[in-house]
Amino acid sequence: MPQVALDGIRVLELSDGIAAPYCAKMFADYGADVVRVDSPDQPPASALDADNVERVALYLHLNANKRSVALDLESERGRSLLRDLALQCDLVVESMSPGVAQGLGIGYDTLSATRPDIVMTSVTPFGQTGPYRGWGYTELTVFAMTGAMNREGLPNRYPLKYGGEIAQYFAGTAAAGASMAALAGAAFSGIGDWIDLSIMEVMAGHPHQIGRRAPFAYSGEVDRRTEPRTSSAGGREPYAVGTFRCKDGYVSFLPLGSRMWPNISQMIGQPELQRDPRFLTSEDRSENRHELEEIFQSWLDAHTRMEVFDAAQKAGLPGGPVLRSHETVENEHFRSRGYFQDITHPVYGHLWHTGLPLILRGLPRNASSAAPERGANSAETLMEYVGLSEADIRELEESGVVRNG
Amino acid sequence: MDSMLKNMRRALSGIRALELAEIWAGPFCGVLLGDMGAEVIKVEAVQRIARGPIKPAPVSHGYPDMDPGDRPWNRSAGFNGVNRNKKGITLDLTRPAGVRLFKELVSVSDVVFTNYAFGVMDRFGLGYEELKKVKPDIIALFTPGYGNTGPYRTFRSMGMVIDAITGHTALRGYPDMDLSRNSLVHHPDAVAAVSAMFGICMAIRNRARTGRGQFIDLSQAESFMPHLGEVFMQYGLTGEVRERRGNGHPRMAPHGVYRCAGEDQWAAISVRSDEEWSEMCDVMGMPQLARNPNFGALDARLRNRDELDDIIGRWTRELGRYEVAESLQARGIPAGPVLDCGGDTYDDPHLQERGYFQAVEHPEAGVHLYSGPIWKMANRPEPRHDPTPGLGEHNDWALGELLGVGDGTLVELEMQNIIGSAPLEGADMGGVRRAAELRRQNSA
Repeated sequence: MPQVALDGIRVLELSDGIAAPYCAKMFADYGADVVRVDSPDQPPASALDADNVERVALYLHLNANKRSVALDLESERGRSLLRDLALQCDLVVESMSPGVAQGLGIGYDTLSATRPDIVMTSVTPFGQTGPYRGWGYTELTVFAMTGAMNREGLPNRYPLKYGGEIAQYFAGTAAAGASMAALAGAAFSGIGDWIDLSIMEVMAGHPHQIGRRAPFAYSGEVDRRTEPRTSSAGGREPYAVGTFRCKDGYVSFLPLGSRMWPNISQMIGQPELQRDPRFLTSEDRSENRHELEEIFQSWLDAHTRMEVFDAAQKAGLPGGPVLRSHETVENEHFRSRGYFQDITHPVYGHLWHTGLPLILRGLPRNASSAAPERGANSAETLMEYVGLSEADIRELEESGVVRNG
Repeated sequence: MDSMLKNMRRALSGIRALELAEIWAGPFCGVLLGDMGAEVIKVEAVQRIARGPIKPAPVSHGYPDMDPGDRPWNRSAGFNGVNRNKKGITLDLTRPAGVRLFKELVSVSDVVFTNYAFGVMDRFGLGYEELKKVKPDIIALFTPGYGNTGPYRTFRSMGMVIDAITGHTALRGYPDMDLSRNSLVHHPDAVAAVSAMFGICMAIRNRARTGRGQFIDLSQAESFMPHLGEVFMQYGLTGEVRERRGNGHPRMAPHGVYRCAGEDQWAAISVRSDEEWSEMCDVMGMPQLARNPNFGALDARLRNRDELDDIIGRWTRELGRYEVAESLQARGIPAGPVLDCGGDTYDDPHLQERGYFQAVEHPEAGVHLYSGPIWKMANRPEPRHDPTPGLGEHNDWALGELLGVGDGTLVELEMQNIIGSAPLEGADMGGVRRAAELRRQNSA
């Protein structure tokens, strides 16, 4: 019988923010045993009030399928349990400031001396070295420094961040890829590694950014914010590139070059435009783009998003509806693939969780569990991983080193 | 660790992967596998070249010193920037001879990955079942925009469209403007690439344990949606649908990008608490502002956000963007300069000190600074950075050395245009052809 993909892999997570917990989540979603270390005096993670709905939602999303152990790392005994736990793991994912892990006795050099195959992944905003290594960050300030923001928005206004917490999630995904590669390597060589991952560098090394930085190196070209629907915005049939208003919302298109002009004219049901002298060549269409834009827009105004989507696909054109999050959850395609997962939470009941980022066909899915309350799994985990007895746990609870449940 | 052991072996040394991919979602996965030591063979065709600049000439200057040269397909910055650490070969997969050679390569490879549209691999006769016949434990990853099953599996998509359908487009843009003013964002491509690398490495580890190969179904949309997971979760919790916020934050103020001295110079600032705000007032030389009832506490600052932003803007306008960032960071307040993808990131002292850029010589484009890798490995400190291969550059190596095809046969294959190192007359060349035309016009 095939096992879940990451059966047998143990991950220790010491993290805050989004990138490191998301990295560990990717392991948890494929069946690795992920133990998240929390502090015993943190407030409960899932008590909902008007001020913290977003924090709770984030916690529930990032920590499904994980265990939580609450350990007091200020105490000698807590730190020694942390070391014991780490040495039972294949991967340690941490996001503490540079040097803190060493101070806690779980630096890579310490762990690898006993476990040469261990992989440690340190996910920080700016990395372990360099002048910014101690800098504070939010999504906004780190995103600003990657090259992505300078291009987002309009030329006469301020530059924009993306929606959500995109840079941190992207870095977390990269951290999972790097960690998995290092684990696969360790399976062959017996030698793990310490991965130093900076959120700034991952986002700055994104293909969009390196695909823009290379032209500067080659010829001095700098990519700046541009007006939509101009050829410098990146499109070859600019009147049909980007996001457009339609009858019931918005749609987005990106035609792949001038060879798609016939597809565009077909989609809007006016193939005769291909013979119109104003629009014969790509240069003609660029010159008369305002007229084309009007023709295009008046067709869009008469059609709904899903009608446009349908027509675009019939014409072989990359285009689709701008959905809002509740519409994405209800979308027929994602439903038919069983993408969103309904996981029951003891307090909130049924909750829709985003599904697996990719499907390993033929392997069973991990049995899913909602995010644990902080410390919910302290006793079982310390007994299983470190071999403590129930009496040990009671004593540790009494001395405040461990909180269980 | 013994320094002899360092750099000897990378995590994916010994893994060979075949790449059938264009633009970013596929090719960037190849970059990451290559960074980790895999031998990635990018398979292209002389009948269809996808090496052009993303922007059309003449807007793009994406060639060394703006000169496309005689072989612009080997000199395109946009392409050379995102295809490091690969070998490059050509094969016409629409003809049996090309497919046969591809299958021979599969028989000596571990991984095949593609971001071609659904059905393309089947039309080549290279669907997963066919690949498995050649190499029973092959790992194959196919990533059409919407995945390999479901009603949209055949749909055409690009990152921009995935951005729309997943809900991200509706979450970005200026809050006071129409979504039709949004910029193009192709971020889901990059997410798919990195997720693909994770999936492939999971399958490699599993194959080592079980001997079994794996088919990986990657939907570009689905790999990206967890990145908006809390937004979906919030909808489930409260029924609330999140609106776009621009640079604002519901529980932080100030939280935005402020104009600094100079042309198009900006600094981003996020204040996370009243304590940080009081520190910031000190830094700005306006300590009384922290006690002003209109700005002292978070709720007041959120209510008076516009006025607050004006005050901060008046302070930043006189200063350099690094000056703003450094003075606030010195007090523990998150701030950073807005950097462009031109000189700004190259000049950034932090990226420089960390050795983020490497001078790499490309045989047809010259020596330039390239970025990456995107993480560092303590036991393999030297980054691998082989230049992007020219079109068909490694045909002789892959077909001759690896498969043992004789010289005579190679010449024959080239005469039949099964392989080659220059696009055929009339080939679909994207931006490369326009660049070549432009050069001819300019020199005429």
